[in-house]
Amino acid sequence: MAAAPFMFFLLATVSVVAAIGMLVARSPVYSALWLVLNLFCVAGLYLTMNATFIGVIQILVYAGAIMVLFLFVIMLLNLDALPQLEEIDWGMVAGFVLGVVVLSQLLYVIASGFDLPMEAMGASAETGSAESLGIALYTRYALHVEVAAVLLLAATVGAVMLAQKRFE
Amino acid sequence: MFGDFIPLFIMIALATGLALTLLKAAEIIGPKRPNRIKRTPYESGMDPIGSARERYSVKFYLVAMIFIVFDVEVVFMYPWAVSFHDFIEGGAAFGVMVVVTIFTVILLIGLVYDIKKGGLDFEQ
Amino acid sequence: MEVALNWYLGLSAILFSIGTLGVLLKRNAIVLLMSVELMLNAVNLTLVALSQSMGDADGQLLVFFTIAVAAAEAAVGLAIVIAIFRRKLTVDITEINLFKF
Repeated sequence: MAAAPFMFFLLATVSVVAAIGMLVARSPVYSALWLVLNLFCVAGLYLTMNATFIGVIQILVYAGAIMVLFLFVIMLLNLDALPQLEEIDWGMVAGFVLGVVVLSQLLYVIASGFDLPMEAMGASAETGSAESLGIALYTRYALHVEVAAVLLLAATVGAVMLAQKRFE
Repeated sequence: MFGDFIPLFIMIALATGLALTLLKAAEIIGPKRPNRIKRTPYESGMDPIGSARERYSVKFYLVAMIFIVFDVEVVFMYPWAVSFHDFIEGGAAFGVMVVVTIFTVILLIGLVYDIKKGGLDFEQ
Repeated sequence: MEVALNWYLGLSAILFSIGTLGVLLKRNAIVLLMSVELMLNAVNLTLVALSQSMGDADGQLLVFFTIAVAAAEAAVGLAIVIAIFRRKLTVDITEINLFKF
C-alpha cells in the first residue's frame, strides 16, 4: 500500500513550500497565511503518525488561536509591506550561510545517527490518544501542568501590562 | 491506523477543490459588464471614505490574547476530561481534581487582573 | 516502501532551518516571531515522530508544554511589538535600537 508514503510526500512538500512562501512573502499578511497552510500540513503529518490528539490541538491552538493573534496585530498596526531584501548586505549573506550550515548539520546528524524504521507507528495509535496522554499528564506531570499555568498567567499579566495605553 | 484518516483527507481535498472550482467557474462563465459605479466598494450606499484598513483598537488584541490563554487551558483540560473515569476507577479522582482546580484558579487570576485593569472595557 | 522515522526528522530539520533563515533574514518583527513559531513547530514534529516510533507518550506531553510556551511567547512578543510600535511607529527591527546609546 503506497498511500502512506504518498501522503507523507504530499504533506511534506506542501509544508516546505508554505514555509518558503512565508519567508519570501512581501506582506506580513501573506506570511501569516502561508504559515497557516504550513501548520495545517504539519497537523496532517501528525495524523499520518497516528498522533491524533496532537494533530487536533495543532489546528485548534496554532492555526486557530495563535495565527488569529498574529493577524490581529498586523491589522492593529496597519502595516504597509516593508521593503524586503532590497539591498543585500553582509549581515544577510552571513545569515543565509548560517541557516544553510544549521540545515546541513541537522541533516548530517539525522543521516548518520538514526537508522530506526517506523515499525512501531502502525501499532501505536494508543500512545497518541487523548486518554493515555491525560493519564500521564495528570499523574507524573501534574506539577508541570501547574508550572505551565503559572507561565500562562505571567504571559497574560505581562501582555496586558505592555499593551495598555498607560504604559509609558 | 493511518488508513482511517484517508476519507478525511479526501473530504478536505474535495471541499477545497469544489470551492476553488466554483469560484473560478463563476469568474469564467459569468457575464462581466463592469462600469465605474459597479467597481466602487459597497459602503451602505455612501461614497467610500478613506482606506478600508483602519487601525483597530488595542482592545481587540487583549481579547484575542485572553482567548489564546484559555484555549491552551482547554487543551490541557481535554485529556483530563477524557481520562477522568480512569482516575475514578483508579481511586485518584480527588487528587486529579485538586490539580485541575489549582490550574484553573491560577489562570482565573489572570482574567481577574485583566478585568481589573480594564482590558475588557470597550467604552472608554 | 515504508515511511521511515528519518523522513520525519529530515522534514523537521528543513522546517527548522527555514525558520532560522526567517529569524536571521527578515526585518519585520512580526514575521520574525512567526519564524520562531515555525521553529517551535519543527521541534514539535521531531518530538511527536520520536514519541510515536518508540511508543512512549512522554514526547507528546512535551508538545503540550511547547504549545503553552508558544502561546505565551506569541502573546508577550506581540505585546512588545505593539509597545515599541507606539513609541517608534515601526516594526522594522533595524530601526528598533532602544538599547543603543
